[in-house]
Amino acid sequence: MLKVENLQSGYGPMQVLWGPDIQVKPGTVTSLLGPNGAGKSTLLWTILGAVRPWEGKIFFEGEDVTFEPTHKKADRGLVMVPEGKHLFKEMTVYENLLMGAYRKGAQEEREANLELVYSLFPILSERRTQRAGFLSGGQQQMVTIGRALMARPRLLMMDEPSQGLAPKIVMEIFETVEKLKEEIGLTILLVEQNASASLEAADYVYVMHEGVIMAEGTPEEIEASHEIKEAYLGI
Amino acid sequence: MFFEQLSGNLVQGLILGSVYGMATMGLSLIFGVLQVVNVGHGAFIMVGAFTALILFQSLGVPPILAIPVALLIGMCLGMIFYYGAVKPLVSPSGAGIRKVGRRQLGKAAGVFVAVMIAMRILSGVLDLNIAFSIFIAIILMYAFLVYVYGGRRQEKGPELATLLVTFSLGVILEEVVKQIFTSEARGYNWDLGKLDLGFTVLPFTKILASGGSLTVAVLLYLWFNKTRAGMAMRSVVEDSVGARVCGVNVDWQYALSFSLGIGLTVTSGVLLTMFIPVGINPYMGGGYTLKAFVIAVLGGLASPYGAFFGGVVFGLLENGSYTLLAALPGGEPFALTRFFSFVMLLVILLIRPTGLLRRKG
Ligand SMILES: Nc1ncnc2c1ncn2[C@@H]1O[C@H](COP(=O)(O)OP(=O)(O)OP(=O)(O)O)[C@@H](O)[C@H]1O
Ligand SMILES: [Mg+2]
Repeated sequence: MLKVENLQSGYGPMQVLWGPDIQVKPGTVTSLLGPNGAGKSTLLWTILGAVRPWEGKIFFEGEDVTFEPTHKKADRGLVMVPEGKHLFKEMTVYENLLMGAYRKGAQEEREANLELVYSLFPILSERRTQRAGFLSGGQQQMVTIGRALMARPRLLMMDEPSQGLAPKIVMEIFETVEKLKEEIGLTILLVEQNASASLEAADYVYVMHEGVIMAEGTPEEIEASHEIKEAYLGI
Repeated sequence: MFFEQLSGNLVQGLILGSVYGMATMGLSLIFGVLQVVNVGHGAFIMVGAFTALILFQSLGVPPILAIPVALLIGMCLGMIFYYGAVKPLVSPSGAGIRKVGRRQLGKAAGVFVAVMIAMRILSGVLDLNIAFSIFIAIILMYAFLVYVYGGRRQEKGPELATLLVTFSLGVILEEVVKQIFTSEARGYNWDLGKLDLGFTVLPFTKILASGGSLTVAVLLYLWFNKTRAGMAMRSVVEDSVGARVCGVNVDWQYALSFSLGIGLTVTSGVLLTMFIPVGINPYMGGGYTLKAFVIAVLGGLASPYGAFFGGVVFGLLENGSYTLLAALPGGEPFALTRFFSFVMLLVILLIRPTGLLRRKG
């Protein structure tokens, strides 16, 4: 589904990604772990085309999309839940969800997707006319996920969706991730700091450090290696 | 007598205020989307004023019909200026964070140097004067500062560079218009009759100007809130990273909102001349730039409707205070109202730096 080869990029003169290779198989949850500043977000932004790749290739569903702009990738169903929510705080919950369905392809399925989002997060249906900025942190994260689902994603990239949330809400978010995989067969690339919860949710794991993939494998393999856990995951 | 005068002035202030408000919406839109303060704002109002004047005097087009023409001229100018000068400085990269590369800055500077050289060559033909040399000096300074300062300190560079660029664009416009029409003040006389309210007399052209402004404001509001394209632009104002992940082409929205902002500003120049059809000259914009800054701050800087509201408040205060100041013995009320704008700006910045409309929290 997604294949990244030797990707290099950065900001200005500073290189952040030093050629990671990753692959995401359809219908799976792939988890990307690593400490602060490892370049996880940068990798997602580069895949999405918001940070320009310097070297390497990005294939999406077999096609080379390395230099495609973000809005074109959105048309292909490459959608992201960004770190730090980035909601439209002055807009209502409903308007936020509508913005999720901004691209032409998603417009046609708007009503069906809206129903899906409301059934996943019934609270959003109740709060649909409220301004997003007035919701609690957990509800705001639901809006962000809902907004991404409105875009009819084929691959959903989630950047630290549980960041800054209460433990109970974190559980709910991870349950949602599993539900999306089980019930609608969504493919997910999940970036997390919460290593233990994402090891549980993932089918395959990459561990990143200073812009390089240091280890990869099934959650069991990662779980089995004390070195990796201690050196990079702090568990 | 005093109250009759005051209410008369307030009615005048209300309708002038709506035109002021409209004349600030473009500034707020550009700031809201690009975080660029258009220092050349008044020059675009001047372009609108000349559009109305020329269309009326040489083609007999009533100024109200000059509005679509002005909007079109403004949007074209906006596009040209955006791609020619502003884009390299604001072009977003990464997760919505603006970065300017040395190469891009070099390009922007290059464009300006090219314009400068072209102007120099022209000046041999047209015999230009001192103001023009000053203009050239400004451009040179701009190119130099942008290249040296902007390239070295990437974080701070963009703001300074955009101020210099928009300032230079304003100066370019003023000088070009001056070369064509000279700096003599002009006016036109479009008479539709008057409405007598008893305590004050309103020419229909003024009422039309106010109605036109209100119409533009309402249309903009509907566009922003009810259409897909308008929602996209609003989403960029609210959170450009969020807009990007929704598949909004943020770079294009930047171009579009700059163009629309300039279009609105040029349009407001037409409406302003319908209110004040005299004193049209290349340098008329300066005063309006100042007023627009005060109004934009009143309305919260980044919100076009806030700006409209701010304009109405400003019009009421300005004209209301005129009556009061005129009642003072020995004062020069007209000059004092100018001073009043400055004082108001300072006071607002001290009390409510986020603007009058902005919600707390
Ligand atoms: N927009 C930016 N401009 C400049 N440098 C950046 C930018 N974003 C990130 N960086 C730098 O790039 C490096 C990698 O950052 P990145 O955000 O990709 O890490 P991360 O793995 O997502 O970390 P975290 O877990 O804290 O989110 C860091 O050194 C960071 O300071
Ligand atoms: Mg990150």
